[in-house]
Amino acid sequence: MATAQKKLKKELTINLGPQHPSTHGVLRLVLDLDGETVVKCTPHVGYLHRGTEKLGENSTYLSAMPLMDRLDYVSSMTNDVAYCLAVERLFGIMAPERAQYIRTIVSEMTRISSHILWLGTHALDIGAMTVFLYSFREREWILDLFEMLCGARLTVSYPRIGGVRNDVSQEFIDSLYKFTAEFPARILEYETLIDQNRIWLQRTKGIGVISAEEAINWGLSGPTLRGSGVTYDIRKHFPYDAYDKVDFDVPVGQHGDVYDRYRCRMEEMRQSIRIIRQCLEKLPRGPVMAPDAPKLTLPAKEKVLADMESMIHHFVLITKGPMTGQSGEVYSAIEAPKGELGIYFVSDGTGKPYRMRLRSPSFVHVSALPRLSEGALVADVIANIGSVDVVLGECDR
Amino acid sequence: MTFNELTKRIFMTEILKGMALTLKTMFTKPVTRQYPEEKREALPGFRGLHALVRKSDSSLRCVGCGLCAAICPSRCISIYTSEGVDHTKVVDRYEVEVLKCLFCGFCVEACPFGAVVLTEHFEYSDYSREALFMTKEKLLNNWDKFMAGKKGEQYFEKYWRPLAEDFGTPENQPVLKNRRAD
Repeated sequence: MATAQKKLKKELTINLGPQHPSTHGVLRLVLDLDGETVVKCTPHVGYLHRGTEKLGENSTYLSAMPLMDRLDYVSSMTNDVAYCLAVERLFGIMAPERAQYIRTIVSEMTRISSHILWLGTHALDIGAMTVFLYSFREREWILDLFEMLCGARLTVSYPRIGGVRNDVSQEFIDSLYKFTAEFPARILEYETLIDQNRIWLQRTKGIGVISAEEAINWGLSGPTLRGSGVTYDIRKHFPYDAYDKVDFDVPVGQHGDVYDRYRCRMEEMRQSIRIIRQCLEKLPRGPVMAPDAPKLTLPAKEKVLADMESMIHHFVLITKGPMTGQSGEVYSAIEAPKGELGIYFVSDGTGKPYRMRLRSPSFVHVSALPRLSEGALVADVIANIGSVDVVLGECDR
Repeated sequence: MTFNELTKRIFMTEILKGMALTLKTMFTKPVTRQYPEEKREALPGFRGLHALVRKSDSSLRCVGCGLCAAICPSRCISIYTSEGVDHTKVVDRYEVEVLKCLFCGFCVEACPFGAVVLTEHFEYSDYSREALFMTKEKLLNNWDKFMAGKKGEQYFEKYWRPLAEDFGTPENQPVLKNRRAD
């Protein structure tokens, strides 16, 4: 009898993941359980480690960009924008105004598509299946728009250092405008399904509460931080691209629980639509590639075989990378859908970065999971994983 | 709890609203596609299987400069050249490991001659790795099959970037019609 009781009191250690449908990839959490209460939660990361930083250091500034697509593979456009902005800041060039507007548009489209995917999978984890089906309907629409824009749906590689790959077509502008007109009604549909639903409320309200102060101390960013009531948004505080030329609000929550983070992301989608509409209306005419940076941008194709200087630039840029001779370092961060995505470069003047370091929001958010989950139930762990919105490609890099 | 809230709680209005929405959706057209039977055309400019351009005299346009292999992030292109008659460079082998390719399209941009393209073909799964190891002949066949004629010309007009117009302001640059800013 005594041994049986001793056995019952012992904590049960279980593995959540790395092959678990609700861990959004290959996240492994080791949970020590007392009954159904989580006593200790230990995240194990690294199952998707590909050495992106080292790969980036071994390839030129130009050819490392497709690696960025594969960090946060559901919002590849913002990763590319972050990378291009970092290189542009490092070498002190600016993308032309039209390219900046286009980048803002595509970043916000990515934000919507990332949030839609988050909403669908998060709701699916918690048990609401219909939202998943509806949200993927709209995600498909955005991916079609991306395909129309650059020929790829997920791993876009669309922005370039000093601009964007190609100009937008009239067809793209018109269909995107149509999308912005119709999408707010679709957000309402999702909200009809879950916003007031009693099961949803019980699963999300008061779960995974983190105060504003603690959220800052844990280094959270993006909607996960704003759900706790901190009005920190890089788009507002350190504007890049065309964000200082458009008008938008930063939604914040009050309680810092799963429900408030959900509300934040839903409102962000509405703000994204607002930004896209303003950008489309203001979209200036002009070049889409920086004309004053011959050492960083590929020269025009007509010139390569006609102009000696362009030909040299073309060959050197592709084989050796941008030989600017400028050394220095830069930390450049953007507001990715998941949070603050920062890239730190050290340049020694050659065509390859001396050091590349990525500050990915998902990694930081995973580190906060024990704080959110300890003391909660196993079912709440699932809600927490969903609400901090991690993508393991970005977490493990 | 007010009376209103109580009635909402008892009659489960929020759940009924959600059910009404799903019921309404049941009568709309399905958005799913029965894929193998029902195919969707890839949009123009889609980055699919590789091809090497065949000139009008059916010879290879590639000169073997190796820029595509230099920029390729996954290093899936290998080119072997030799010296031909009159000291010309002859491309003996041009090989693409399609399984390693990540379809960024940088090879197309790097090529100064417009000799390599990514076609819109994406259904090329096979049982062996050898079948997806593209040799020069296979790549030329891809061109004949998917891009020859008008399609190839249009591809280079639109997707062989950057062109001079990207550095300037071309006429009729697309902007939103009837916008307020003008």
